[in-house]
Amino acid sequence: MAKLFERRLTPADSPLAILGTTSAAFLAAMLVTAFLFLSYDASPFQAYIALFHEPFATLRGFGYSLVRASPLALIALGTIVSWRSGFSYLGFEGCFVIGATAAGWLALLSAPGSAIGPIPFFLFLPLAISVAFLAGGLWAGLVGLARAKLGGSEVLISLMSNYVAIFILQYLVSGPLRAPGSLPETRLFPRTSWLPFILPGTRAHAGILIAIAGAALVWLLLKKLPMGYELIVTGFSPSAAKYAGIDVGRRLVLAAFLAGGLGGVAGLSEVLGSQHRLMDGISGGVGFVGVVVALLARLNPVAVIPTALLYGGMSVGADAMQRRASIPSSITFILQSLAVLLVLAFDAFRYYRINWGVLRGAPPPVAGEVSK
Amino acid sequence: MNGASLLGSAFVVTWLTASLRLAGPVLLAALGETFAEQSGVLNVGIEGTMLLGALASFLVSLYTGMIWFSLFVAVIVGITASVFLAWMYVTVRASQVVAGLVFNVLALGIASTVYRRALGDSALPESIAMFQPVRIPVLGKLPLLGPILFGQSVLFYLTLLLAWIAYVVLFKTNFGLSLRASGENPAAAVSAGISVARMRYWGTLISGAGAGMAGGYLVLAQVGLFRESIVSGQGFIALGIVIFGRWNPLKAALAAIVFGACDALQLSLQLFGTHVPSQLLLALPYIVTILAISGLFGGKAVQPAALMVPYAKE
Repeated sequence: MAKLFERRLTPADSPLAILGTTSAAFLAAMLVTAFLFLSYDASPFQAYIALFHEPFATLRGFGYSLVRASPLALIALGTIVSWRSGFSYLGFEGCFVIGATAAGWLALLSAPGSAIGPIPFFLFLPLAISVAFLAGGLWAGLVGLARAKLGGSEVLISLMSNYVAIFILQYLVSGPLRAPGSLPETRLFPRTSWLPFILPGTRAHAGILIAIAGAALVWLLLKKLPMGYELIVTGFSPSAAKYAGIDVGRRLVLAAFLAGGLGGVAGLSEVLGSQHRLMDGISGGVGFVGVVVALLARLNPVAVIPTALLYGGMSVGADAMQRRASIPSSITFILQSLAVLLVLAFDAFRYYRINWGVLRGAPPPVAGEVSK
Repeated sequence: MNGASLLGSAFVVTWLTASLRLAGPVLLAALGETFAEQSGVLNVGIEGTMLLGALASFLVSLYTGMIWFSLFVAVIVGITASVFLAWMYVTVRASQVVAGLVFNVLALGIASTVYRRALGDSALPESIAMFQPVRIPVLGKLPLLGPILFGQSVLFYLTLLLAWIAYVVLFKTNFGLSLRASGENPAAAVSAGISVARMRYWGTLISGAGAGMAGGYLVLAQVGLFRESIVSGQGFIALGIVIFGRWNPLKAALAAIVFGACDALQLSLQLFGTHVPSQLLLALPYIVTILAISGLFGGKAVQPAALMVPYAKE
C-alpha cells in the first residue's frame, strides 16, 4: 500500500524545503500568538501590524531596531562559532557582561584627566574592541579548558558562570566604580568614547557595522580558512578529527575563546553605543535571545544579520504595543521562542515526501513494486 | 557561657537552619531530574518548568487559599509542560539542550504574560498563605539540633521522604532498572523488550513533576509571592546537584544541603554584619557548583552513557 506521506532516508535539504518548513513554523507560531492577542480584545491583524510597523516603517523605530539587533547578531555569531565546533556554550549572558565591563572600564579610564585619557577615538576603538574581545574570550576560554582538560560539561558550567559575571558587575557598579548618586551605576562615559551615531535623527550607532564586519569574518573563517574547516570537523566528529591529526582539545578551547570574544564585543556595542554607562542588569536575557537568533538562522553567519534585525525589531514593536495598547511586551518572548521550537519540530517534516499520486488515485510509480 | 560563644552558637543555628530550608526546592528539582537523566534525557527545561510551577501555585493559593491544592496544581502544571518537552526530546528528537533552553525563554514569556494578565500592573505584590514551620513536640526543644532539624516546614520532610522513595524506585525496582538501561545502552534495552521512548517519556514527566513541585515549594514555603526572578538559576543548580550527587537521589540530598549551606552563609553573614562584599557571597553557590561539576573531582564514569543522545530505533 502506498502512503500519502512516505518516509525519506535523509531529510530534504534543498533551500526551498528549509525555507518552506521555517516559514510554516513561523506562521504557526504567529497563529498561536494571535489567540493571545484575541484574549486582550485586540484584533490580531492590527496587533501584528503594530508589531512590525514601528520597527520597520518608521525611521526612529528602525534606528532602535538596529540598536537592539547589534548585540543579538554578535552573540548569534559567537553561538555559531562554538556550536558548529561541537561546544555547546550557553554563557553569552556572562561574556556580554564581562565584555561590557571591560569596555566600560576602559571608557572611564579614557576620560580627560584619567589614566589614559584623553585618547583619540580612532585609537580608542581598536583598543576597546581588543580588550572586550580578550575579556569575553578568556571568560569563555576557561570553560573550554574545563571541557578539554577535565571533561566537565560546558552546558552547565557556562550556565552557572553567567550568574558569577552578573555578580561581578553588580559589585563593581555598587562599589569601586560607583558614581556619586542614588543609583548603583558608573558615571557617564566621555563623549569621545561613544560609538558614532550612523543614521541622522535616530539612536542607531556603529555597533551594527561591527556586527556586519563580524558576520563577514565568521563566514570567512568557517567557509574559507583551514582553521574553520578543522573547527567544523571537530564539531561533526571528534573521533574523525583526532584521526586526521587535529588536536581536538585545542580546537575546543579556540572555539570557546572566539565565541566568548564575540559575546564580549556584543557587550561593548551595547554600553559604548547605547547605554553610555555601566549599570546592573544591562544584559537582561540578551545572551539567550542571541542563541535563539543563531538557531533560527540555522547557524549560518550570513542569515544572522537579517534574523537579528527581525528579532530586535520585534522587541521594539512590542514595546510600542505595550505603550499604546497595554498588551504586555512579554508576548513577543512567547512568539520568538515558540517560532524556534516549532522550527525544530517542523524539521521532522523534511523526513517525509508527499506522494501526490495517491491523491489522484493513480498507481504510485515505484513504491507499489517495493512495498508488499 | 560568655557573649562570644553565645553569638557563635546563634550564628550556627541560623546558618544551618537556613541551609536546610534553602536546600529543599533544589533537591526536589534534582530528584526529578535524576530520573530524566537516568533515562538518557538532559532536561534543561526544568528552570522554566519551576517558574511555571511557582506561578501556578501562587495564583491558585491567591484565589483559593488552599495551600496543599496549590502545590498539587504546581505538580500538574509541571507534568503538562514536560509533556511538550518530552515530545520535543523523544518524538521529534530535537537537540535536548536547544529544546530545553528555548523552552525556558518560552516559559519566562508565558509566566510574565499570565502574571500581568491576572494581577494587572498593580505595583504591590500580593502575599499569600504559606506553609509554616512545624513544631515537633519533644525533639524541637533539643538545644541546637531542635530548631535546625525539627523546625522546618512540612515540605522539607516530604522532600526527604521523596528522596528515599526515588532511591528505592531507581535502584530496587524493575521500572528503575528499565529506566537506567534506556539511559545507559538504549540498543540493549530494546533487545530486552524495553520501550526506550516510553521510559524517556516517563523520565521527563517525573522531572517535570519534581520541577513543578519545586516551584510550588519556593512560593509556598519560602517566598510567599511571585516575581519573574524567583527561580533565577535554581533549576540550573539542580542540574549541577544531579552531577554532584552522581545521579543518586541520596547523594543528591547531601549535595543539595552543601549548596544550601553556601547559599545560607550569605544570609547569615549579612544578618550578623560583616564587611565581605555581599556579591561575593551571593556568587558562592554558583562558584561551588561550577567547581563541583568542572570535572576536577571526576564523575564522567558514572554518567549515563547515552545522556543527551536522541535514540532512533533502526
